[in-house]
Formats: sequence, structure tokens, C-alpha cells
Amino acid sequence: MAVCVAVIGKDNSPLYIGGIGNDNGTDNELSRQWLVHTALDALEERLATTNTNNAAAGTNTARTDLRDLYLGLLYSTDTHKISTSPSGSNIRDAEVRTALRRLHALYADAICNPFHLPGDQITSPKFDKQVKSLMLNNV
Amino acid sequence: MRSSVSYILSHAPGESVMSHPDYAQQAQHHACLLVLVKGVGGMLKNFNKLWERIQRINNIKVTDSSGQSRDIWVRYVRDYPVENNDWGDFQTHRRLLGLITLSKFNNQVELNEVCRVHESLKVKYSNTLYDSRAFMFGPNSNMKRPEQEPETYSIFEDDKSKAGSSDKASIPSEQADSLSSAESFPQSASSGASIPIPEENFTTPSNFKTHAMFYGENDPVPDLEHNVAELINSLFWVVESRRLERSREKLEKVSLLLAPFEKKDFVGCALGSVALPLPQHVPEPRVHVVLLLHHAQYGHGLIYRPWASWLDMESRNNKKRCMGRVTKNLADLTLQAGLVTESLSLYHSSAEILKSVNDWLWLAAANEGLCAASAIILYPHLRNPTPLQRNASLQESSPNKTKPLSLFQAQSEPFRKFKTTSSPIRSSKTSSPINPPSELTPSSSDSIDTSSRQSETDNADSESLASSSDIEYQSQKSLGPELPSIPRQSQSQVTNQYLLTVDDIDVRYRNAIIDYSKYQNAGIIETEACFKAARISVEQGNYLLASGFLQNVMFINLTLSEQEKIQRFDTLAELYKEIGFLRKAAFCQRLAATRHVSHNNPNPDWQRCYYLMLHSFPGHKLSLDPNYVMQHQMGWPVLQIQLLHELKEAARRMGHPALATRHVTFLLQTMWPHLSLQERRDLAIRLQATSAQCEGGPVPLVLETGEVIPPANLTHVPQCSSFGPRPPPPARAPHLVKCKTQQGPFIFTPIHFGSLERKSKKDEGKMEYLWVEDDICEVQMKLTNPLPFELKVSNMRLLTSGIVFESIPETIVLAPDTPTTVNLHGTPKEVGELQILGYSTHTLGVKSNCRLKSMPMPNKFPASYTIEVIPSLPTITIETTVAPSGNLNSPSEDNVGSVTNISLYNGESTECTMQITNTSNVPIEYLDLAIQSNADTQLQSKVFQWSNDEIQSQLPIVPNGTALISMKLYGEADFLDLGGVGGENMFPNSLTSNYPSRVGSPVPNAQTSLPTQSSNPQTSLSSGLVPNRNLSGSFRSSNSHTTNWSAPISVMPPSRGRQIETQVIIRYSGGKGKEMHCRQSSLQINLELLPSVSITHWDVLPAEIPSQLYLVLDVSNLTDEEMEFHYAPQKRILIESREACRVPVPLPRCPFRAPASRQEEEMENKSISTGTSTNSLELMCSEHITNNVALSWRLMQSDISGKASVKGITLSQAMMDIVRMSPLNWEVSVNSQCIKPQEEYSCTAGECLSLGVAVWNHLSRPLRRLCLSVQFYQDYNNGVLSYKLDNRVATAGNNKVLLTTLPESAKAYHECTVVFLTPGEYKIDIQCSTTEPVLDDPAPLRDSDQQSLIQGCAEVSHTWRFIPPVAISVSD
Repeated sequence: MAVCVAVIGKDNSPLYIGGIGNDNGTDNELSRQWLVHTALDALEERLATTNTNNAAAGTNTARTDLRDLYLGLLYSTDTHKISTSPSGSNIRDAEVRTALRRLHALYADAICNPFHLPGDQITSPKFDKQVKSLMLNNV
Repeated sequence: MRSSVSYILSHAPGESVMSHPDYAQQAQHHACLLVLVKGVGGMLKNFNKLWERIQRINNIKVTDSSGQSRDIWVRYVRDYPVENNDWGDFQTHRRLLGLITLSKFNNQVELNEVCRVHESLKVKYSNTLYDSRAFMFGPNSNMKRPEQEPETYSIFEDDKSKAGSSDKASIPSEQADSLSSAESFPQSASSGASIPIPEENFTTPSNFKTHAMFYGENDPVPDLEHNVAELINSLFWVVESRRLERSREKLEKVSLLLAPFEKKDFVGCALGSVALPLPQHVPEPRVHVVLLLHHAQYGHGLIYRPWASWLDMESRNNKKRCMGRVTKNLADLTLQAGLVTESLSLYHSSAEILKSVNDWLWLAAANEGLCAASAIILYPHLRNPTPLQRNASLQESSPNKTKPLSLFQAQSEPFRKFKTTSSPIRSSKTSSPINPPSELTPSSSDSIDTSSRQSETDNADSESLASSSDIEYQSQKSLGPELPSIPRQSQSQVTNQYLLTVDDIDVRYRNAIIDYSKYQNAGIIETEACFKAARISVEQGNYLLASGFLQNVMFINLTLSEQEKIQRFDTLAELYKEIGFLRKAAFCQRLAATRHVSHNNPNPDWQRCYYLMLHSFPGHKLSLDPNYVMQHQMGWPVLQIQLLHELKEAARRMGHPALATRHVTFLLQTMWPHLSLQERRDLAIRLQATSAQCEGGPVPLVLETGEVIPPANLTHVPQCSSFGPRPPPPARAPHLVKCKTQQGPFIFTPIHFGSLERKSKKDEGKMEYLWVEDDICEVQMKLTNPLPFELKVSNMRLLTSGIVFESIPETIVLAPDTPTTVNLHGTPKEVGELQILGYSTHTLGVKSNCRLKSMPMPNKFPASYTIEVIPSLPTITIETTVAPSGNLNSPSEDNVGSVTNISLYNGESTECTMQITNTSNVPIEYLDLAIQSNADTQLQSKVFQWSNDEIQSQLPIVPNGTALISMKLYGEADFLDLGGVGGENMFPNSLTSNYPSRVGSPVPNAQTSLPTQSSNPQTSLSSGLVPNRNLSGSFRSSNSHTTNWSAPISVMPPSRGRQIETQVIIRYSGGKGKEMHCRQSSLQINLELLPSVSITHWDVLPAEIPSQLYLVLDVSNLTDEEMEFHYAPQKRILIESREACRVPVPLPRCPFRAPASRQEEEMENKSISTGTSTNSLELMCSEHITNNVALSWRLMQSDISGKASVKGITLSQAMMDIVRMSPLNWEVSVNSQCIKPQEEYSCTAGECLSLGVAVWNHLSRPLRRLCLSVQFYQDYNNGVLSYKLDNRVATAGNNKVLLTTLPESAKAYHECTVVFLTPGEYKIDIQCSTTEPVLDDPAPLRDSDQQSLIQGCAEVSHTWRFIPPVAISVSD
């Protein structure tokens, strides 16, 4: 089950962190952040290799390569990266991928707000609501 | 990666599980001989040095029996848990083979103890130990070698007695033997203590059978390397023999090798489960017995045993299993014995065998071994991390090899004996290492010899095999004694089909780890394997894979002590760091840190916790330098804040309050933008509480590890929104003594010549103004307190660099959210450039140095402000006194805006005294006074007068000295009221406008009533009204008025008050900088000039005597008081306020020859028209009048007196004739009787009178065309003159005579006779006129032609008249 969705800016700053569950305590919130933060290393490494792969062999191979390793990095644009935290996730690849695709759409909607500055934290309540429902639907 | 099977497997007991993971293990350690190095007894001073030296001997080359050189690698450890030794069968590199003790003793008792410890260590590891060395450090340097029994190698006894059984763990007899020997130590030690032995003569206990070396404690131990190498050499030979032994074993008869926990499971299985067949044959009965004790604990609950099927020992599977395991064991030994390539094939074949029987644990081990061997070949540099040092040590040791050997042999008899018995092949080799010890039985040595011989014979074959590499080694075949020893080749040339490729290593390792994970009890092995695999992946540069391996470590469920868990995290962090996964490393470090202080930890270690957290900074994208963090806001603020909080807590708990304060300061400073208002407030309060224990200061803190925590400065509390040095106040601002001359005619040019240079020179922080040494200077800043409570900031100072600057501390209290302007002051103490870098504060218990360059973002400050400081200059105060009114102006500090207001009546004068006091310590050596006002310079110089010499004479003014400058003020004004100049009335001020002019040019009209008495001029003047104003006005040309003298524009009509605003600028300097700079004080003087008197009209009248004239003035008193007006000596008149009076001022007439110089000047302009020439005359006359009229006034009430002047008076031509001395002198006689002025002549009608007129020319030149005329008329005394006297007067002779020329000083005489026919009052007008233009000089020509006189009258430019006219009264 997905418990946490984080949108990370390219300069390693969290743009949005949303978690679900009955654990609204700060400890859990904090530990989730620790986990997401810790997962970024692999993401970074993956991106570095992806870029080189892109240059060499093209996107497809890189993507399949990425899918094998369960840390699903599925989309990457030049402004943002989306990842899942691998902890305790039993959802199958395809599901994760659809979920992330939807998440990406939500993100795109959110930053379409003309008042949103790229790089700022996403404070849109609508985005928050939709992301949370997305996570719940994946349970 | 992890198999789920591990969860199914039963939980194993802790004892047999290898419970002490060795996180430092690396793949290449599989090929190493394990040697324990231990310090025994007292602490050796140079133990660490020795330890390092020993560690360097990690690789020696040994020539084996076949003549091949083998690379033997050694791993030294300081401590080794004996439990891990139990896994020696599973992976032989886990066996502890050698022991080195470094011991210190001072007496026999200690020596005994040391020996006992050594022996007991030997016993502890007796299962695996092959050889040992004891380095004894005694008290003396030149120790004699104590007597010692020949060393016994228990391990070879083992070998001897074992006879085929490879499992030494199951041999209690030897253990008992060695244990008993260890037990005997206390006895010997006690005996040693009871019998005092001379220090020089130590003896080792009889049961101490180790090869011992004795040194003094401070000896250099030159043969350490040699001895260690020897030990390794001996170890190698044992390993080699074991290898050969193992390789010769018959595969059909090999026993099953077991991992420690397998034995128990095996037994438990056998006893506890009825479902499973009992083992037919238990290979190790003793183990069985021992382990029976445990069966009750487990045995039930056994669901799945992978090896349950091979309980049938006779089965084919079991055979294969035994074979596979033994092959694997052999591979291990081969690897350790330096035959890496051989081990590859052995590992491979064992893996094949084990795979077929699903022996996963050993399969994993075989795979791991294969990976390790491949890695060793692929990455040879991993083995020698310090190749240079190693080589050095080798070079040191290898040449010495033979020499100490012989020395050693001399001492040790058994070796010599062995040497003699050794084979000729080996003895012939010079570089041969020592041979296996003497205890080696002849048979075994023979076997080695044979095997080596065999391998020698096979040498050629094996070489060909290696080169062709297409012949497969069958494992069964290669197991035999005919194992080929492949000659060592350089690793790049090694081509082995079993050598794994880079990717294969990863795959195999992954498989191995998965297989390990199936066994709960192999957790440690799995963990270690993960680390080893990760290290290889790191080497390969495959970081993701490495992280995968490391990730797996986290999932291995081990029952570990807290310490080991911490160690695990530490190692993880280390490796994560290595692959650049700093976040993960930080995460692990943080976990380790929390473990250090967790509740489960019996002895929390806050210090280590602190350091771990501190070192996790990079992973959190934090830097110790707050400025860096603020500039690069990155990372996760939430986590960073959390970490900093924890760090602070750890610092506090470990008893370092200064660090705690520093970290809270850091937190508040760097995380400011991410903190909410409430958090800021809480944090500030916490900081205050923390700093109460230890105040924070802007100094780097140095930790015990040598790390430096840079200072954290609070620039957010308070926030500075503006900062800038202030120029000195105007009074103290230095000015250049000499003003810079303008470089060009342009004040501003848009063209930048050499704009590039200028821009590069442009310095943002460079101030345009100067500061003065020893002078208080000011920096203004605006501070805001962002906290919701009142903030006290104390000890605020300026941070400067460059010259010495004395900053004055300031303490302020800031209200919340109110921008407050704060001025910081200081005094530069030197001359030069001063850089202002920022300011320091002390708030919330923290001292901060807030530098401008590190200010938070929204404010852009230059890195520093640079100000030039010039040498000190004096300062003054000025006190102004105005006499005599006593208008005192108190001295003001800054001398700015001190205003002196003075009122003066026009013509009044007063004195203003300025007292200058030098208030500095610098003498004033230069003083200059200048005046600036809104009046023009001409007026200014008349109003303000001072003596510069007087000022200069008072210099220098010493410190605290004073100087007086007196300045005279005079109410300069034009008293002639010229109001309405240029209007239709050309001469409004002239009396002629109101009164008849008697000097009109047409001679016939010229008639005047000369006042006969001047006592009452007003009446006499008022009597004469002007009937012919227009005529009289015509002769005054307008230009004579305007061009001749022009009054200064600023001279206002005297009837109105004027304001003169004046600045007295005092420039002064002194001291060193006086050449360049000075200070400037200004003093404002507002001078109000009040109207006093004005002369509204004037005229001139001839006086009674020809040498005098009367200047008649209409004087009006413009003041509000009654005025006494002095117009002549002893003549005064009282004028009421706002009243006017007419006063006659007697004056001498203007001398003919007025200043000669002027005359000369005018001579040059002879051709100029009359108008101009008269101007100079007029000017002269005007001046004459001005200089001779001394008017003064006094106000009766306020007793103010002043002067007045008629400066600038304008005169008409006619007036001038009066004013000037006549050029002609008259002598008129009637009947030869001279007529005196004012005299009346009487005669009777009909009487003949003879009128004689004589004219003298007083001019310097002859007069030409002079017309002398005599005219009779009657004055009706009502202003009407009657010239129609035809029937009343009869004249004989000409009444007009024309003189062609009258030379200078000549006299002309004319006489005529006149008869008055009727009685009456007659008057005779005698005049002389010239038609010739009068030249500039008063030298008119005189025409004697009377006829033309009338006609010429119109053109007459000059007429002289006999004044007063001769009056004749005719009676009957």
C-alpha cells in the first residue's frame, strides 16, 4: 500500500510530501520523511545512469532497466522527478506505473496554476486531496 | 534478494551461531592467513608502532617445494572471537592460524604470567593454531636470552595423531593435553615469585614451549619483520601440507564437513523427529554426545531441513555432498596457499557438485569463494592498499632473510638439525625460507617432497594446460596428489575459464547471498558476504548494485548486541559514503547514533552519538559553516532541523554546553526561513536557556577529533535592514585646503574616456568622504527584532579591519517588529584605510560577528565599506559677541546653524567678535576667514571688514587656547533715494523738479533768488517755485546719471529694510594633515539693515562768497524716532520721525584742478563728445561733494548714531558750474567802485553810471570766442523777471563783447555806461559764455563776438555768471 507520496524538486528540496494513514503523529511523519530522503540517493544514482544511458542507447532500455529495480522511477522531466519509496510496497509494477502516471498528471495540473512558481512548495489543497485519494485507492 | 525460506527455518540457538560479525572483512581476506596479534602483560609503549610494522608484512613470497614462488597474504587481527573459529571448516580463512604476542615484563613473576597468558591463548585457539611467536620485552636492553625449552608444536602433534580426521574440533585429547599444560602455569608462576631470581637471569617456565624472542623495551627490534615472516613461512607450510593432504584424500572416504550449526540441527533432527530416518552412521560420535544435551530445545518444530534427505549418509547424494564440501574446503586451502587460479577451478567444481545436491549453504560458500578468488585476480590492487609501504618492508626483510636465519640457527639446535636433514633441493636454494619445523615427521616431509617433485615433473604439462586452457579439470581428477601447480603468472595474463567476469561476480554473489539467507543461522555469514559483495561492487563502480547489497544487510535479522548493531550501521554508512550515497550513509549514521543512546543500551555513549550525527551532515546537505548553508539552501529543512535538535541534545548530554549553544545558534541562523514564528520564538528561548550554561562566542570550536566547528553568527536576530557609515557632520568634515582645479571645461561629460578602466576601479564599498583620526565616527544601521518579545542586544560594536579602530559598545533594547535606527560609534586611531566589515552583537546569550558579506539574502551589502582616515584635525567652538549691543551668541558644539542676528541702521557701524576656542588636542596652525553672502562682493567688502593680519598673528592656537577675531560691520547704504529712476520724471530726486532752477541754460531765463540768509534754508528755498521745470530738466542728460555712476544693484533704496544673509566660513587646520585637509566652520550672520535717513532731493546753490556753495538736501528721517541730524560742524537739526527737512550744507567749491591724474586720463579723450567729458567732471564734482559732506545722525531715544553720505550724487551741468570753482574771475565796478557781493548800489535816475567788468582767465589754457554780456532786468520778486527795459535804461557802449581769445591768466576788461531813466530796482546780469565746446578740462573758450552771442546762445554750452547779480536801486 502506498503510504507516502513525495514530489522532490531537482535541487533536493521537497515540494510536496503527503502521507496517509491514521498515523498523523509527527514521529511518523518525520520517519516517512527520513525514508523518502534516504531513498533519494538511489534515485540520484539512477538518474545519473539514466542520463548516460539516454545518451548512449536511448530511453527505452533505460526505462526497462529501471523497472527491474523496484525503485520505480518512471518519469523524469527536466524540472521534476517522481519516485516511489520502495518500502513495504507490494503493488505490482503496472499498478505503480498507472498510479504514478496519474500522479504526474496531478502534478502537471498543480503547476499549471499561473501563480505557482516552479521550485516552490506545492500548497494546493486540491492537489493534496487528489494525491491522498490516489494513495487510498491503491490500497 | 532475500529468500523467504529464512522465515520458515527454525530459530537457531545463539551459541553455535557465529555471533560476532566481522564487518571489515573483504573478499580478498579469503586468501589470507589469519594471525592474531595480542599485547600481553603491561602496556608496551611502542605497541602501536610494532603493530603497524607487523601489519606491513601482509604479503611474503615463498618458494614452494616445486620451486614456484607463492604469494602468501596475511591478515592480522587484534582480537578474534573463538566462536568464529568454529566456522573454520566452512571457510578456512576464518581459522586463526598464527599467534603473535607482544608482551612486557619487568621481573620473573611477570614473565611467568606473560608466558602463561601466551600459552593459554594457544590453548584457546588450539583447534586451529599452527604456530606462534612471543616477543618479550624485558627491562634491560641487552637481555640474555632466557633458557627455554625447545618449542613444541601441538598442531603437528594433532596432525600426527589425527590420522585422517580433519575435524580437529573433535579431538579432545589434545585439548586436554594443552589445557593441562596451561593449568600448570600458576604453579610455576608462584614458584617464580617465591624464589627471587636475579633480573639478568630470567627463565621461562618449563611448560612455555613457544618460540620466544627477548628484547629490551626500547630496543628497535630489527628482526621483527624477519621473525614474523618466518612465522608466516611456517604457517604456509602447514597450510600447504594440509592442502596436499586434503587433495590426496580419497573422495569416496571423505567425511562430511559441517558448519557449526549444522551439527546441532543434524543431531536434533536425528533425535527429535520420528518422521525422519535415523542416521545410519554418525561420523562424529563425540559431537553427537555433546550435542545431545541440546536436543530438547529444538528438534520439534522442524518443518523443513534441506539436508534432511542426506541424512542417509550412504546415499549417493550424501557422497556427492561430502565430495562437494571437501572440494570446497580444498579450494579454500588452495586459495590460502597462494594458488589462486587453481582454487578457481576447485571452487567451480565444488559449486557444480553442491548444486546438484541442493546443498545451498555450501554452494553459497563455494560461489562466494569463486567470487573472492575472481575478485582477487581481477582487482589485485585491493589486496595491497598500501603497496609502497609493503614493498619497503619487504625489501627490508628479504635481504635480511638469510642472515638472521643463520643467527637463529646458531641458537636453535633443532632447526640446524632439521636443516641437515632437509632435502638437497631445498637447501640449495639461497632464497629458500625456513623449512617446516623439526616436529614434522620424516614421512610427512617426504610426502611434501614427493608432491613437490611430482608437481615439478608436471610443471611443463600444467603450463601448457594453462596456456591452452581448453582442457577441463575434472574435479575428481584434480583432487588427487597430482594437482598441478600452475606457475604464477602476471595476473593480466591469467586466462582461466573459471575466472568470473565482472557481471558474473555480481550474479554469483547475489546467488550466494540468497542461498545464505535461507539459513537463519548463517546470518552473520550472509551479512559479511553482503559487505564483501558491496565492496566488490564499489570497486566495479556499480553503485546501485552495491547499495542493493547493503540494503540487504538491513533485512538480515540478527540477534546482535547493541554494540554490534552500531558497528553494522557504521560500516554501512562507511560503504554508502564510499558509493556517494550520502543520504543513506547519513540515515545509517543517525540510526547508529540513536542506538548509542537508546534505552536498550546499558551504557549510552553520547559522545559517539554526537560524532555520528555530526558526520551525517553531508548526507543532510548540511555544512558546518552556517554561511555556506545559508547561501545554498538545499536539503530537507524538516530533517535538518530535526538533526540539529538531536545534535544539540547530544552535545548537551555529553557535557559540552559550548557545542550545544553553537548548534542551537546554527539552527536558528541557518533554518530561519523554514521556521514558523512560533518555532523561532521557542528556539530563541531555548537558545537563551542553553547559552545560560555556556555563552556562545564567535570563535571556532575544536573538537577532540580535531574537527573545527566554525562559529555561527546570528544575523537574523536582530535583522539588519540597512547599514552604512555616515559622513562626519559638516562642522567636522574635512575639506581640501586647496580646491581641486577643474580638469576640463566640462563639469559633466557623458563620454566616458577609458570607461573600462573606470569601471574596473569602481569600488562598491568605497566611501567618498573621509573620516578623521581620533574623531568620533558613526555608522548607522536599522535593526528589527523579529522575535515576539523584547530583545536586548548588548555590546554592539563595529567590526573593522585595516587600521586600528576603537569601537564604542552600544546596548539597545528592541521592541518586537519595530525597525529601530541604531548608530554605532567609534574612533579611528590611525591614519589609513579602514574597512568596516560588519558589526558584532551579543543577544540571547550568544556573541555574534555579523559580517556584511554573510548577511542574509534580501539585503545586499557590499562585503565591506572602505573609508579613508586622514590625520587628526583640530576642532573649534565659536562664540560670537556683537558690540556694543551685547548680542551674545552662546557657543554651540557643532557650530552649525549658529545664527547671529544683527540689525543695523543704514550708516551705523558695529563690531562683531568671534572667539574661537580650540577644543581638540591639535594646535590650529591655519585659519582662514571667508564670507559668503547674498550681497555682491563690493557691498560685502564694505559691510564686513576684518584684518587678516590680526588673525594670522594669533596662530597657532594651542589646544584649549582661544583666538579673537573682530569684524567690523557697517550699514553701508545709498542714502540718496533714487526711487523711481527711469520714470518719466527724469530727476525726481533733484530739487530742480520742485524748485525753479536758476541755472537754466537760456541765459535770459536764468534768474534765481539766491537765499541771502542761510539760517532758514527751508523757507528760502521753498520760496522759489519753478516755473520752467521742463527747461531746467533738459540739461541733465540721462546718461550722465546711469553710466557715470551706477549704484550696486544690491544697494536697495534706503527707504526699505534689507536683509543680508551671510555665512562666515572659517577654515582651519593643524597637525599632520594640515597641508591637505582642513575643517570648516560656518557662522551665519543675518544682517538686517534698517533705513535711517534718506536724501530725497538735492540741489546746489552758490554761497555768499565765491569760494563756497551750498548743497541743499532734503533729508527725511525714516526711523521711528526723533533724529538729530548733523550736517555741518556745529550745525544740526532735529527731524521728527518720518519727517523730512531741507538742510543747506556749506561746502567749499570744487577746486578747479581736481586730481591731476584724472586730468591726465581725460586728456587722452579730447575727441570725445561733450557728454562724456562732462561725465568725468561730474564724477569729480560728485566725489568732491561726497568727500566734503560729513553727515551724521543720532537717534535721540535709542542713542544710536550713524553716518550718512551723499555718495553717488548726480549733478547737472548747471550744478557743476556752481560746484566747481569758476574758471573766470570777475571784477565788476560801478563808477570805478568795486562791487562787493551782496552789496546794493544806489543811484538816482538819469545818473550816468560807468560799469566796468574785468574777467580773468584762471584756466590753464586760453579761452576762445568768449562772449561777455551785460544785461539789465527787473526782478519782480514773484518769479517774474522783466528784461523789457527799453525805455527805462539807456546804455552807451556794447553790452555784449566778443573776445576771440582770452589767454590764460590774462585779463579782459570791458566798460560801458548806463543811465537808468526811471527809478526802480534794477539788476545787472553779467555773464560770460562760450560757444566753443568746452573741452573736458575746465577750459572753455571765450568768444568776444557779442553779436553772435544771442544766436550762439542756443548752442552755448557753457556760461559763467557773475553771482550774485549786481543790484542797483534807482531813485529819483
